Amino acid sequence: MPRLNFWTLVSISTWLLLLVLLFLPVGSILISSVYDDAGNFTLANYARFLSEPRFHRAFLNTLVVGFGGLAGALLLGSIMAFCISRFVIVGSRFVSLLAILALVSPPFIGAYSWIVLFGGGGLVRGWLRAVGINIPPIYGLAGILMVFSFKFYPYVYLMVSGALSNVNRSLEEAAEGLGLTPWQRAFKISFPMVFPALSAGGLLALIHAIADFGTPRLLGRGYNVLATEAFNLYSAEIGSNMSMATTISVFLIAVSMFFVMLQRYMSRRNVYHGNMINKPIKIRLKGWKNVLAHFAVYAIGFLGALPVIVSVIYSFRKTSGPVFKPGIGLQSYERILFNLGDVVRNSVSFSISAVALIVLVGTLVGVLVARRTNLNTSLLDGAFMIPYVMPGIVIGIAFIAAFNTGPVVLTGTAAIIVLSIFIRRLPYSVRTTASALRQISPSMEEAAISLGYSPFRAFLRVTVPLIVPGIVAGGMLSFVTAINELSSSLVLYVGSTMTMPVRIYLLILDGDFGTAAAMSSLLLLLSGLAVYVAFRLMGRNEQALL
Amino acid sequence: MAYLAIAGATKQFGPDFRALDDVSISVERGEFFTLLGPSGCGKTTLLRSIAGFSDLTSGSITLDGSDLRRIPPHKRDIGMVFQDYAVFPHLTVFDNVAFGLKPRKVPSAEMKQRVDEALAAVRLSPLADRMPAAMSGGQQQRIGIARAMVINPRLLLMDEPLSNLDAKLRIELREEIRDIQRQIDIAAIYVTHDQEEALAISDRICVMNAGRVEQIGTPQEIYGDPQTLFVARFVGTLNTLSPGPALDALLKKLKLPQSGVQTWTVRPEQLELFETGAASADAAALSGQVSKYTYLGREAHVQVATDLGHLIVQLANPGTSAGYRRGENVSLVIRRDAPMGFDAAGRRVPMGV
Repeated sequence: MPRLNFWTLVSISTWLLLLVLLFLPVGSILISSVYDDAGNFTLANYARFLSEPRFHRAFLNTLVVGFGGLAGALLLGSIMAFCISRFVIVGSRFVSLLAILALVSPPFIGAYSWIVLFGGGGLVRGWLRAVGINIPPIYGLAGILMVFSFKFYPYVYLMVSGALSNVNRSLEEAAEGLGLTPWQRAFKISFPMVFPALSAGGLLALIHAIADFGTPRLLGRGYNVLATEAFNLYSAEIGSNMSMATTISVFLIAVSMFFVMLQRYMSRRNVYHGNMINKPIKIRLKGWKNVLAHFAVYAIGFLGALPVIVSVIYSFRKTSGPVFKPGIGLQSYERILFNLGDVVRNSVSFSISAVALIVLVGTLVGVLVARRTNLNTSLLDGAFMIPYVMPGIVIGIAFIAAFNTGPVVLTGTAAIIVLSIFIRRLPYSVRTTASALRQISPSMEEAAISLGYSPFRAFLRVTVPLIVPGIVAGGMLSFVTAINELSSSLVLYVGSTMTMPVRIYLLILDGDFGTAAAMSSLLLLLSGLAVYVAFRLMGRNEQALL
Repeated sequence: MAYLAIAGATKQFGPDFRALDDVSISVERGEFFTLLGPSGCGKTTLLRSIAGFSDLTSGSITLDGSDLRRIPPHKRDIGMVFQDYAVFPHLTVFDNVAFGLKPRKVPSAEMKQRVDEALAAVRLSPLADRMPAAMSGGQQQRIGIARAMVINPRLLLMDEPLSNLDAKLRIELREEIRDIQRQIDIAAIYVTHDQEEALAISDRICVMNAGRVEQIGTPQEIYGDPQTLFVARFVGTLNTLSPGPALDALLKKLKLPQSGVQTWTVRPEQLELFETGAASADAAALSGQVSKYTYLGREAHVQVATDLGHLIVQLANPGTSAGYRRGENVSLVIRRDAPMGFDAAGRRVPMGV
């Protein structure tokens, strides 16, 4: 049967793809970490990692920012999720929009906007000082944790609010009937029901906090984490130490994988399928409680979206070179138009290429995984977890390690950036296609077959039209991730393949915040358009952004 | 040779599970044939092998003389109606029904006419241009029926088409299905686990259990003359008479042979109830006490504690009287032709009544 051969071919190609784009790079960092510059086998790098206080500190700091970011995101995200799913909040859709804004905001710009407001010469700090309140500048651990909390809370919020609005109210009513107090009810009924969502959202926050490179870099002021150490070692102009950078990468992967496994283990038994019969109703709060709930929700929403708001405002400020002048002006955008057009073009063309690949390959593999469940496809599904949790910096370093020498040299090309985005986002596309397919009853295709369509035509005429909106929407959301990708591109770019996030990073380092803000606003516009198209196609499904 | 003939159909899943075990049936042109049985009995597996969605391990299926197993499913020209409707949500009602006419290259004028006729037959004409997504289950299944019959298939297969509908609609739609099938005069194979539905709709019923055929017959034969204990139990309700001296005495009185019979049973509607013992010549009376009275409107069930165990008696037209009280003494009359005896293997033992 030709159809069988086709899918066998897809299966083989997928493994080849994973071999080249995942196992080879990951293998390369493993190998690179155990060889010295002279090419001799050595465990010296690992010994160094375990003995030098610098790396101890970075490792510890990574865990501190990881769990600190996790705690902050959990706190803010749960408060917001609880208030919005259980109380009547005026303008709750607007608040959700603010959360989406925080989620799709370009990296780095967040950290920098916080510096603009609360840094050494920060705007808000200045105002507060004028009225006699002195707060310390935002640098260091406290600043990193604050940025992480407000940047990553949407993961928890979107996950948990979905789960909370699906908890069957009858369960809580039953608990009430059995004489449990509201607090007992919350802890014994509602909490276990939303735990899987809570831990999944928390995991996303944790993984992103561990992988984040820009925030500690800009705000840390000496507070180094593994991601920044790896980048420093890799990019140091003098004494670049690739094998030490790869050693750190190995630890980063290990830490991320460990937490993924831990979360899976913790929520292994807690899979609840809510039925939709008795959905929770929203309570209309009165008096100070109502004010408090609204205040909490709006404060979190606005603070999370603040960096975006700040950069949009600053992008329209009049500038002279890198210096802001009073008044409104479009010089920042002019600079992009006249000097940085190629960067925008790069970003857009790289992202579109990556998304085209992601959609094409992701759909084929998704169909394979969903329709031909066997050991092979289960293994495939499992292997796709790896790129999903790899920090961007590590992907970048791994690609350099794999494609700098040897039969295929890709460093410095556009292809390496496109491929690095492709492999990181592919798992998402595979999963969405597979889950969309699993929701379509097989009898749908069988009906078409019984009506005289060959299996392949039945698939084309019935299944494909049903999953296409989901696939296009998924592609749009992948575009958002692709165009905002910073850390892997930062490792992989050369002058001619510079992308917008990389340029923003360099502009901020140069102190040209006006242009950085304008470019961030442009990125935001592109992301916003993609999100809008996605939501138009599949309905407003905020959880799809995760 | 029969229109549809299945011989020795066997389907093996893995080394240990046999979903179909040497099943042979034959269906005539224009016949409404029902496969009835509990879930897992193999009825759906059989239907899906006729449709071609799963192949038999061994056996033959011939339709109008041609070997179906050699024909790929999309060329079998068999209409199928699904349990979950399988209506295409991205197409209008009209396009759903027209879907099967397109690969048959039917000219558009004729297509329009045939679809309109099919929609009229299932009373959906006013909804032709609507999308099916928001429609009720009954309407969606009507689309499914119209879609399957519009292609003038050689055979119509229905896989529990009514099981997701509510009770009233189920009865209404099953009458419609029967009428349409008679009208277009097509052989239909209908799968269900609902014995009442099977009795109501079928020309003949095949009762299946654990991959085997238990009995094939008209509804009257299946209900009134079950050949196995399984069929008797599955179709309708059944009282089992507890063995012991009381049963022996009863059988003696009714002059029924006891040899070879392992299980004695009697249907609730074959029993009668009298306040005082009054039995005719070919009947025996059994005294007992009412232990439960269940009123169901057009009928009532009285559970009576007797020496033969708790027996249920069905009363037709119980009216509006209060019925029987718990503990009330009653007399139960068993006619000689009422008990059915089954041997150790569950086969019916002929009584020669």
